[in-house]
Amino acid sequence: MSVLEIIIALPLLAALAIWLGAPARAASLGATSINLILVLYTAVQYWGKTGLAFTYSRPILENPSLSFAVGADGISIILALLTTLVMLAAIWQIHDRPAIFYVSSLLIGGGALGAFLTTDIFFIYAFHELALIPTFLMIALHGRAEPAYRKAVAWKATIYLGVGSLVLLAGLVWLVLEFSGGSKLTFDLEALRSQAKLNPLPDSKQAQIFFVLLLGFGSLVSLFPFHSWAAPAYATAPTPVAMLHSGVLKKFGLYGLIRIALPLLPHGVHVEWVQNALLLMLLGNILVMGLVTIHAKRLDDTLANSSVMHMGYIFLGIAAGTDIALKGAVILMFAHGISIALLFGLLGRMRNQLGTLEYNKLGGLANHAPAFTVLFAFGTFASIGLPGLTNFAGEVLIFLGNFTEFKAGGLTHLQWTVILALWGVVMSAVYMLRAYRSIFHGSPATGLFMIDPALSQRVPFIMLAATLLVTGCCPWLLLNLMKSAL
Amino acid sequence: MITLGHYLVVSGMLFSLGLAGVIARRNIIIVYMCLEMMLSAANLALVGFSRFHLVNGLPDYTAQSLVFFTITVAAAEVAVGLAIIVALFRSKQSVDVESVTKLQG
Amino acid sequence: MLTSIILLLPFFSALLILLGHRQLKGAAVLISVGSSIISFIACLVLLAAADDKDNTKLLLPFLDIGDFHANIDVLIDKQSRGMMFIVSFIGLLVHIFSLGYMKDDDARPRFFGSLSLFMFSMTGIVLAGNLIMMFIFWELVGLSSYLLIGHWYQKASAAEACKKAFLTNRIGDFGFMIGILLLFGLNKGDVSFDNLRDAFVQGGPLFDAQKSNPGIITAAALCIFMGAVGKSAQFPLHVWLPDAMEGPTPVSALIHAATMVAAGVYMLVRVSFLIEASPLAAEIIAGIGCFTAVLAALMATQQNDIKRVLAYSTLSQLGYMVMAVGAVAMHVQHGHELHGPNPGHPAMFHLYTHAFFKALLFLGSGAIIYACHHEQDIWKMGGLRKHMPVTFWTFLIGTLALMGLPWITSGFWSKEGILGAAYDSGCSILFHAGTLTAVLTSFYMMRLVIVAFFGKPRTESAHHASEVPLIMLLPLVLLAVFSIFSAWDGFATPLQALKPAHEPPHTTVLFASIAAFLIGTGGAIYLYRGKDKDPVSIKLFANKFYFDEIYAVIVRICQDRLAWIVTALERVLVDGLVARLPTAIVARLGAATRMLQGGHLQGYTFLLGGGVIAVIYLVVFVLPRLGH
Repeated sequence: MSVLEIIIALPLLAALAIWLGAPARAASLGATSINLILVLYTAVQYWGKTGLAFTYSRPILENPSLSFAVGADGISIILALLTTLVMLAAIWQIHDRPAIFYVSSLLIGGGALGAFLTTDIFFIYAFHELALIPTFLMIALHGRAEPAYRKAVAWKATIYLGVGSLVLLAGLVWLVLEFSGGSKLTFDLEALRSQAKLNPLPDSKQAQIFFVLLLGFGSLVSLFPFHSWAAPAYATAPTPVAMLHSGVLKKFGLYGLIRIALPLLPHGVHVEWVQNALLLMLLGNILVMGLVTIHAKRLDDTLANSSVMHMGYIFLGIAAGTDIALKGAVILMFAHGISIALLFGLLGRMRNQLGTLEYNKLGGLANHAPAFTVLFAFGTFASIGLPGLTNFAGEVLIFLGNFTEFKAGGLTHLQWTVILALWGVVMSAVYMLRAYRSIFHGSPATGLFMIDPALSQRVPFIMLAATLLVTGCCPWLLLNLMKSAL
Repeated sequence: MITLGHYLVVSGMLFSLGLAGVIARRNIIIVYMCLEMMLSAANLALVGFSRFHLVNGLPDYTAQSLVFFTITVAAAEVAVGLAIIVALFRSKQSVDVESVTKLQG
Repeated sequence: MLTSIILLLPFFSALLILLGHRQLKGAAVLISVGSSIISFIACLVLLAAADDKDNTKLLLPFLDIGDFHANIDVLIDKQSRGMMFIVSFIGLLVHIFSLGYMKDDDARPRFFGSLSLFMFSMTGIVLAGNLIMMFIFWELVGLSSYLLIGHWYQKASAAEACKKAFLTNRIGDFGFMIGILLLFGLNKGDVSFDNLRDAFVQGGPLFDAQKSNPGIITAAALCIFMGAVGKSAQFPLHVWLPDAMEGPTPVSALIHAATMVAAGVYMLVRVSFLIEASPLAAEIIAGIGCFTAVLAALMATQQNDIKRVLAYSTLSQLGYMVMAVGAVAMHVQHGHELHGPNPGHPAMFHLYTHAFFKALLFLGSGAIIYACHHEQDIWKMGGLRKHMPVTFWTFLIGTLALMGLPWITSGFWSKEGILGAAYDSGCSILFHAGTLTAVLTSFYMMRLVIVAFFGKPRTESAHHASEVPLIMLLPLVLLAVFSIFSAWDGFATPLQALKPAHEPPHTTVLFASIAAFLIGTGGAIYLYRGKDKDPVSIKLFANKFYFDEIYAVIVRICQDRLAWIVTALERVLVDGLVARLPTAIVARLGAATRMLQGGHLQGYTFLLGGGVIAVIYLVVFVLPRLGH
């Protein structure tokens, strides 16, 4: 029995208990708070260590060898921390809604935790699929739009993510088959890793498999041009689902690339055609989606598109593949998750109170809701990448990580991409500050009135903002969990 | 001399007639009768094979017993089928196959 | 210990106030002012403890991966100690002045919180021991500037101005970051100032890179300079500074005149070894500085808002300093040694004197605005000399220092240093343009003084103006003292002002600066004495060469139109190719196969029959021919 199994099981059990009739809010808040404490405990235990810890394995099948194996290293713990923080905030901010909101939040969070904390490819994949189902259902059933539109949006997301998952499955099966070499099939990540070290695949094959995995994982992370499900889905999804999916579940694809694709296919990303394709796609994320976000006329559009755009930076870290850049990518995953969850949470509140999110109808909210404004400013400046909030540390490490191999003669493709991507930082400042200015600054718009949330309703947002501030001023807190080289 | 070929030609014609009726006719009772005709064609073929397949100098009676089974089952099928048709007629006031579309998606 | 007090005290003050100012109420002001007093004392101790040993110390960890470190390092040397004094001294005076100026403002705690945040971030820039730390605080001063310009965010103009300031700075930071990345790559992952300089002097990887590909060093230097262009508001990113005057006047004095905008110059002097390595970069830097100086001085001659005149004057003086950085680098490239026992730098020295008299001028204008009930148009003032004598005299001292009254004021000495550097640079345009700027400076400042203080009151509010309270006068008087004496060795040496070694001034330079002073002053007195409205009207200057309008068009075309087009393309092409096209194919296929399953019993039977026939045909006629 490992503490990780308890962490995975708790939200799922709580969901079951609510289905059987337990009081929804109490059960889900209780389970997630205990979970947060447990994850913090594992983080403290793991502090400064390296390698895989808290491992435990329950064999299920002999051949193909399959077992329910859990284990965590720094990346998993950071992502588990992200999951529990966002889950607690998302559940806490639910107000006056039926029990299915709690159940679906618990299932999404529990599925994500399962995906991050198990070390068997089969279960990593299965847990992610488990978490996707309530996402689709909640968008279709409780989305914030006309029934016909929200159903269409849910279908779009389902098809994109479903096809993406299928491509991913094909890639994973290919990967496992290549490594098994005809004898015994294994899905165990550690076993595959040691095999990849002993006899790595030839570079051209690595490139092919990596590309398939990139497409599969990429469409789960809204990699350009497989992104067009994301913006409408986030804009429509009910608040807790938007927080959890954009904040946590979307990171699964990136986690998979860092956890499965890069260690097993270390040369895959450096083969020229794969790298060029990846760079083009991530530039699409950053530059194209950056301009699309600038064009947005409503806050939900801005946030949803910006969330797609920021994925480009994390892909940039993966494309570099150096230790510094990958650690930056993990930090940015954490930071983006917290900041976008904060923004989506606040957005939900605005939508409930004001009924509109169009910029030309809003204005001057800072006059009546100062605390809300401050919280929103944390999210805004975090996504702009202001130093002192976590996103900056992630971004700067990614940029620097691309420049560790430098020839005075000239820049590589990767480095030119970084320079173009830096312009994206300017663009994100443009759209976030425009949004902030038209919502909060100026004189109050007539007919719109918003007050600060009550203190108890502020807690989840304060928690997220404080996380951004603390890990932003002390990013070494996160780096200390990732002592081992990636 | 009547050979197996003659049997089979008659059986084939009978079957084709039945099939054509099932495909072309609208009246459900006629469709049903054509269906029976196709069964009879199969029976005829079986009997023909039985007659010309000698085992120890005798015809192969296995096939003939199979024909009896078929006739029995067909009789039972007629009973059930006609009952369904009567019930359909009562609810629809029609024996046209196209009128029964309730289970169509 | 000392440095951690100086750096972290304002941080905690800012955190406490900004997050809890509604609970703290009046205590917030005390915390902020208290922290600035303690910081000032700590800075004095730092100056006194100067043992002339420069060192870089680790203060706090930040990023640490394997061999790569980007921590909060503190670099203590003459330059940072001198700058620290300016920041903490003027910061303290501005805090005190604000006690009076912001007395009636409801959001006073928020103001003081942002002020503390600014003190923290500015301290960080000054003490930064490596480029990444400098970038961190570089962005943070941008944030505090954003908060302070947008202090009266209800006003649309203030809300737009703070956004503009932040975004313009972001464009500069874009270049700055590229420069940092290039240096990071060239110097094998080490971006501390000490190591970068050593890499040049003692021949590290950076030195080799310069030998093999000098272009990349020029690129790095220019990218770093782009950061300074944003922060120090040089052409073409100068447009944010005049708009930043929407902030409260004490803020303009501290941030947009004395300290933050000078951070660009401070940073350039820090990396002067880099600029000296690249002749092209040095020329471009000098050229941009010179161009900004002349351009801004021309704009200043036609402004009517008292704060805007001062803002353009700040732009112009910053251009002067940047020009000096380039000119000194060019001088060094011609084989002259600057790094002697006295590493004075004319740009840093002008920064030092300018900080005092420009802060004085801004605080003085704040006093006027306060007394005239927030009237800022100089043509609606007049005759204030009699109503506000102390303000008048201190303001006059500041003006004379800025104009460079020969021998008496500090501004004369520092300006003469810059003109000397321009003269030595070997490029006569720099010297001529510098002299022209000096003429224009004298002209517009004298115009301001004559119109605002002399003549008769032109409006009611000017008529009823009365002297401001003592708490606002005290900073004025102190700054007036510094404006006169700060260039004297008795002040400059203990304050470690990086005063250039005293060489006998070139006669040409001396003559030029005195002539510039006289011509400018005389012209202004001749034109503006006793006038009630502007006798000169040059639309081009008054409208700031239409830069704002041009940029608005560029932003509209290059950004908003482009965004519109890209959004449309994204909808049509990406969604079309990735989503709609496959959807359409699948839908067509579905419709085709759907025909086969129409739910017609007889249709199925027909297919069944066809199938049977096909099977029989295959078995009887095709299979035997295939080898059986």
